[in-house]
Amino acid sequence: MEEKIHQLQELVRLTAAKPQALIQQHQQLVTADLTSIIIQLISTAGSLLPSVNHPAAPIPNLSFANGVNVPDNTNMVSKVEDHSDHLDDDVDEGENLPPGSYEILQLEKEEILAPHTHFCLICGKGFKRDANLRMHMRGHGDEYKTPAALAKPHKETPKLVKRYSCPYVGCKRNKNHKKFQPLKTILCVKNHYKRSHCDKSYTCSRCNTKKFSVIADLKTHEKHCGRDRWLCSCGTTFSRKDKLFGHISLFQGHTPAIPFDEPNQSNTANTDTNVQGFGFFDFSSCGSGEPSACFSPFPRNLFEESDSLSFLLSGSANYMWKNGGESSSKDLQ
Amino acid sequence: MLVGACPRLQAVDVSHCYQFGDREAAALSCAAELREIKMDKCLRLTDVGLAKIAVRCEKLEKVSLKWCLEITDLGIDLLSKKCHRLKHLSVSYLKISDESLRSISSLQKLEVLLMVGCGLVGDEGLHFLGNGCPSLQVLDVSRCEHVSSAGLFSVTRGCKGLQKLNAGYYFLELSTTVFQNFKDLKHLKTIRVDGARVNDSFFQIISNNCLFLVEVGLSKCEGVNDAGVMQLAYGHPELKLLDLTCCNDLTDMAISAIAHSCTKLVCLKLESCSLLTEKSFSFLGSSCVLLEELDLTECCVNDKGLEYLSKCVELQCLRLGVCTDISGKGLSYIASNCKNLKELDLYRCLNVGDDGLGFIASGCKKIRKLNLCYCTKITDIGMIYLSQLEELSDLEMRSLLKVTSAGLTALASGCRKLSELDIKHCGNIGDVGFWSLAYHSWNLQQINISLCGVSDAGLCMIMSNLTRLQDVKLVNLTKVSARGYELALRASCRRLKKVKVLASLKPLLSVELLEALGASGCRIRWD
Repeated sequence: MEEKIHQLQELVRLTAAKPQALIQQHQQLVTADLTSIIIQLISTAGSLLPSVNHPAAPIPNLSFANGVNVPDNTNMVSKVEDHSDHLDDDVDEGENLPPGSYEILQLEKEEILAPHTHFCLICGKGFKRDANLRMHMRGHGDEYKTPAALAKPHKETPKLVKRYSCPYVGCKRNKNHKKFQPLKTILCVKNHYKRSHCDKSYTCSRCNTKKFSVIADLKTHEKHCGRDRWLCSCGTTFSRKDKLFGHISLFQGHTPAIPFDEPNQSNTANTDTNVQGFGFFDFSSCGSGEPSACFSPFPRNLFEESDSLSFLLSGSANYMWKNGGESSSKDLQ
Repeated sequence: MLVGACPRLQAVDVSHCYQFGDREAAALSCAAELREIKMDKCLRLTDVGLAKIAVRCEKLEKVSLKWCLEITDLGIDLLSKKCHRLKHLSVSYLKISDESLRSISSLQKLEVLLMVGCGLVGDEGLHFLGNGCPSLQVLDVSRCEHVSSAGLFSVTRGCKGLQKLNAGYYFLELSTTVFQNFKDLKHLKTIRVDGARVNDSFFQIISNNCLFLVEVGLSKCEGVNDAGVMQLAYGHPELKLLDLTCCNDLTDMAISAIAHSCTKLVCLKLESCSLLTEKSFSFLGSSCVLLEELDLTECCVNDKGLEYLSKCVELQCLRLGVCTDISGKGLSYIASNCKNLKELDLYRCLNVGDDGLGFIASGCKKIRKLNLCYCTKITDIGMIYLSQLEELSDLEMRSLLKVTSAGLTALASGCRKLSELDIKHCGNIGDVGFWSLAYHSWNLQQINISLCGVSDAGLCMIMSNLTRLQDVKLVNLTKVSARGYELALRASCRRLKKVKVLASLKPLLSVELLEALGASGCRIRWD
């Protein structure tokens, strides 16, 4: 803006120096430039207004790209632009803000990712929420324990409806995008940025597959992880049997998979082959496996003890136990 | 292991393997060349196992899932979608619905479909079938409770290529409107309409249109009279099987027609046709010499009748239950001529005595199955005769009170192939007889010794020695104590599959025993 003001000053000086050679076009140029400067001044002032009222404005410890020398508020203000209708399906809750009725703020990437945004002026300790900071201030003296100091600062001026833009270039949530869809709150911005433009560094410990960048998302997933009982050989899980079968009928070669930890396993053929992904039995490479013991021999336990019957034989002769050489043989077909 | 060793495995039968479940199915599915798989009564098989097989064994042509109660529409649907070459499918007694039939109808090559007793299938399902399965030749839809005449109409109208149709036990639902459709079933060779109400138009349609009929089943049908049977007989001289069980209005006239026209008859069932006289049997004896199976239960056959019937020298199965006029004399004719006899049923033929058995034993050496229940004249002598029957494997002899241990001993030592034995109520057989049984009859699989005079020792001997015993009925053994039962059952608990005992015994048996029996898949019936 300063540049523009200097430019205009030059122009005015020039025109002032040569009043005769004032052309129509020049005039228009000058008026246009003047108008734009005035508009910018007004909007900058408007955004600066809230921070003027703020008693203890936070000073972020990170550097910023813009060159505007604004003392406390680091938000870069953009012009209020005219937006076309948003016909995309993921409009925030179908809200219809008439274009031009709201202002757009765009935080920088570093601020979005910063874990703490509120800092104690006295000791420099960082906090995620202003309420947390106010609590901390109680430790710095009695003046911070008053109800007035602890209460949420009341904003006198009714704020304009604010919407947020994502700083990532090319993102649909970026104000410069053709189909721009604003985000509603700073928290939305943070979650959106982490989910869409950051690495997913948290992994679910249960399935070891799903990754998340936002911890809250991970916790929600863990609530539902492992609930799907129906497994396909390709790895997809389903909550219902008919969904699984619908999937299998669509593709060649997919089969239902039997989960590993089933309560009643058959005890005759317990071939222990590869355990894939989720740990289910897949007999696809059946040939290579080496079953340890196909048929477990009947263990001789109390139930098969023939000794228990010996008491019955005490009275009778050795009628039954001369099986050996007798004509009756067990080997009849 | 099996599949790994036999990579070109084509046909597998694991029917009644109660432990065969999804994992086993998965293992089997590695045999990509499988054409035939029979899994009847594999109760643990579910849609998942079936899906595995369906997806990996694309060349399957014949699949049988009878009694696999866990299979649902989903499994059948997938099978239909993946195995396009299916020709033969059995889904009898499954709890599947019309949706399965919608899927099955899409199988272009299906020739044989067995769906007996599918209680959840309705007319809509049969409607799908009528509009699909263009190659269907054999269809068994008997006993599907929710099917009515509308469904039967659809199916008989749609499946014009049918050669064998079993639509039994639909009673009045199988009505004239459905029969009208038989006019177009030109290729019918086998028709079974057990339980239906038929009339003259039925016989007319059949005789005029279904010219290739070879097997006709009218068991328990109403409205079967002499005229109808005569029309049937004269219209189909090539008939081989005719089932007229409980068509009790029939007289000698009908049999005369059958005998004169259907000389190639192989199987004839006339149970309960009590109006028949000796004349019928003489007709049969002189003309139907190819007869192999003949059921004359309650047909008042006498010795003269048997003399006539003995001319059917090819007889293999002869049922003469409740024919109280038969004696040894009649049996002598049979014995001298019917050398191929394998099954003989003399249930409640009160006048049969030891001499009759003597004839049978010397003449019909191939006998495997014999029923002598309530032939109370038989004594130990008869048993000694029976011991000459080396092939005897299935013997029922309830209530033969004149038979003692000596008789049973003789039987046991002679008939080594004996595998099923029913001696319920033979109260005079003592322990010695049972010891002989335990000593000799290694092949016994099934016994009913309810209400017999066996003691603790005898029972324990039997149960511990006879290692092939799987099915035992031990109801009301008055001389056996609870301890005796406990020990006997413990000795055999791993092998037993079915046990029938008095309900009052339940609290007296140990918990461990009951658990062990349950664990090895044994089913206990408490009487």
